[in-house]
Amino acid sequence: MSRDEVADDKGFEQFEKFLEAWSRRDFLKRAGGAAAYMAFLGGAVEFLDACAGNPNTTTTTAKKGGHVVEGNFSDIRTLNSMLSSDTASNQVIGLMFDGLLNYKKSGDLIPALAADLPKQSADGLTYTFKLRPNLKFSDGQPITSDDVKFTYQLAYDPQYADVASPRRGDLSKYIASIDTPDPLTVVIKTTQVFAPFLASHGLYGILPKHVLGSLSAKAINTADFNTAPSVTSGAFKFVSWEKGQQVTMARNDNYWAGAPYLDQWIYKVLPDSVAVTNQLKTGEIDIGPVDPGQFDALRTTSTVAMSEFGVPTFTFYAYQLDPTKPAGPLFQDKAVRQALLYALDRQSIVTAVFFGHGQVANSVEPPISWAYKDKPQVVVGFDKAKAESLLEGAGWAKGSDGIRAKNGLKLKFTMITNAGNKQRESMLTVMQQAWHDIGVEATPSLIQFPQLVSQIVSIRTFDLFLVGFNWSADPDVSPLYHSRNAVPGGFNGADFKNDQADTLLDQALNTLDRTKRKQLYGQFQDLMSDLQPSPVILFNKGIYGVNTRVQGTDFGPFNQFAQRPWNHGVWVTDGK
Amino acid sequence: MLAKYVARRFLASLVVVLGVTLITLVLMDRTRGTYVPGIDLNPALRPEDIARLRADLGLDRPFYIWYLTWIWGVVHGDFGRSMIDGSTVMSHILDRLPNTLELTGTAILIGIVIAIPVGVIGALRHGSKADHTLTVVSVAGFAVPQFWMGLILILIFSVTLEQHGLPWLPSSGAYSAVNGGDFIDRVEHLILPATVLSFFYMSTWSRFIRSSMLEVLSQDYIRTARAKGMSERRVVYLHGLRNALIPLVTLIGLELPGLVSGGLVVEVVFGWPGIGKLAFERALQYDYTTVMGVTFFATMLVIAGNLLADLLYGVLDPRIRYS
Repeated sequence: MSRDEVADDKGFEQFEKFLEAWSRRDFLKRAGGAAAYMAFLGGAVEFLDACAGNPNTTTTTAKKGGHVVEGNFSDIRTLNSMLSSDTASNQVIGLMFDGLLNYKKSGDLIPALAADLPKQSADGLTYTFKLRPNLKFSDGQPITSDDVKFTYQLAYDPQYADVASPRRGDLSKYIASIDTPDPLTVVIKTTQVFAPFLASHGLYGILPKHVLGSLSAKAINTADFNTAPSVTSGAFKFVSWEKGQQVTMARNDNYWAGAPYLDQWIYKVLPDSVAVTNQLKTGEIDIGPVDPGQFDALRTTSTVAMSEFGVPTFTFYAYQLDPTKPAGPLFQDKAVRQALLYALDRQSIVTAVFFGHGQVANSVEPPISWAYKDKPQVVVGFDKAKAESLLEGAGWAKGSDGIRAKNGLKLKFTMITNAGNKQRESMLTVMQQAWHDIGVEATPSLIQFPQLVSQIVSIRTFDLFLVGFNWSADPDVSPLYHSRNAVPGGFNGADFKNDQADTLLDQALNTLDRTKRKQLYGQFQDLMSDLQPSPVILFNKGIYGVNTRVQGTDFGPFNQFAQRPWNHGVWVTDGK
Repeated sequence: MLAKYVARRFLASLVVVLGVTLITLVLMDRTRGTYVPGIDLNPALRPEDIARLRADLGLDRPFYIWYLTWIWGVVHGDFGRSMIDGSTVMSHILDRLPNTLELTGTAILIGIVIAIPVGVIGALRHGSKADHTLTVVSVAGFAVPQFWMGLILILIFSVTLEQHGLPWLPSSGAYSAVNGGDFIDRVEHLILPATVLSFFYMSTWSRFIRSSMLEVLSQDYIRTARAKGMSERRVVYLHGLRNALIPLVTLIGLELPGLVSGGLVVEVVFGWPGIGKLAFERALQYDYTTVMGVTFFATMLVIAGNLLADLLYGVLDPRIRYS
């Protein structure tokens, strides 16, 4: 035996000793009583969850106490409800600040701080809210109509023009005035009938005027409150934000719906979706969004319950419709646009790229929306023969190189999406192949996300782009399809301009009656199914993994991130 | 003489700082497009909102005006506020600094403690089985990407061990989410990332120590020492090692910025809330001010590290004089 091998043996011995010492500690964790538990509190909680076997799920009465750790892969940016624009911030704000209204799972409105849905005047311009009596902020101060007015003022009142609120454009356009005849009454007068007003603007977390009211508009942008709110109006109150690591929140005993069962709710920042899956498995986190690709890895984990539901998030591609752009002339004929869609087997894309966790839709409205029309005028399925006959019929004949051309113009273009998004990159590859099969040469090109956004909203020299988008609970889709948004900065980057579409969208926006709106959106979907300016490939599914020790969560299409009316009712079976 | 040398180095470094920060800014500015830092793509945002929010951040002005404004602030000790969350850049850096120092400090320490004996053994038993084995391990340390090694360690020591009901190590963060932060808890979280990072340091440094030790041991004065009948132990450790360690000072000096910018990759893989991860996250979000602040900080440290290494040379090696 050489000297080296002896050295190796010694090393191994030490490693064994280390392991032994290690497991002894864990033995204490498992076997020890409260004393040992207290002594090893750090890290022990997760360990117990992971090792103690199946948690007790037979208990039906909610228990007080304990904590929930929710994992996600973005850190928050701000905790001020009138400044935030990203999902992560809105999600944490939703735990600490309640709005006048909230969403049900379906996206229908329910009252939150308001006692009821607001009364609407006959002309549809005025909304009168009554607040619940005896509302209190976490510091015990009353929540009054003044606080509501102040919150909205930050984004619509000219005296607060310096507040960098991403909501100012909409609110300053639609709000004429806000009056507070008494501490429980808020009267919002709007400038025009605007159907999505409540669904879009009735949910902002109400801020405490007694904390922020004395600050100037500029000072509000950088107030300590934005990163460490001392006073909250929602189910939880703020404890700490350790940047890049976690936000810790504690029970708000003054919450209007009753104090939450949990002592703490922790929002933990993780590196990526793989880490979310791993930590759901190990019990380091209790709740987390699950990537479709990780679904099967978690399904077999007995301590994690999965919930899956449709969401208004979708992936679509858009043709360049501006005839003055290089690729514009290719896509002027709707036969070409339809043919390309017929050639795509979208169900296979859902299966291969999203592991089946998605839904092919026949419409630009999400299937979960009340306005969704499942059978519009034209239902485009996967039909290669039809695709080819449409192109032949429109005069696009195959040349010697196998590529179709018409009047010397080849059906050849570049498709762009953002680099780094594997799902979108795969989709472009599938599209390239599918279209190659019908004599169309489409070349994928990957660019950085900010440049993709610039291409869509301002530069607009693209041939075809593929990107994701997200609708709110209201079925208004004018940002993508109204000609007024085909200007620089607007989201109608494809330059889709159609008078009939504009009229339908405008009418639907100015109609408050849901039945009439549904009819209008039905007509709009019929029109779009025929014109196909920017087909939707799929609507995504939301997937959440929840540790079985956690009870009372109820994720759904519109109860995913910020809007979760059940937050205060979440409890843990083991009380830890 | 020395003061003059330091002063000249300092002046030269100003140019470096300006260059590095300017390049950083231009790269961010040229790739940003119409994106507004901190504002996500959102159908409710209209062109006029975007224009207003851009103006709020000073992004409607050309980048050189922005740069001059920034420099003016820095000269007055003001690094500005984050474009994403409005808190001061300095508070971000100071928040993350302790975590990064904890990780990289531990890794560098472990790296040195292991690298010196590994390098010395490699040199003393030059060509032996032990030397070959250590060489293979060191080369692996260079060759294996840190993110890959990190993921594999997570897979083995977090996920797989946990699945088999064995004691396992946490896979991300600097401490437990609930009631975390005591000493043992922090050490548990430190083990995996520090292993990956120190493996890299160890590999690099042990190679240098080995070759520099080999060189020193072939010097005349070593032969003289042996000829005088000095014990082998004294020859190796007193005359050999001390001289062989001089190049290591440069290397560790160069690692000083690494102490702060850290193992960026390791921090990202392990969700370690340090400076490296801060820079990474904020670069993706085009948070100009924060990225510029971290860049400035890191550049200053590279310069300071180099200078410190040069000055230490003079202490360790009397042959070196500054002019």
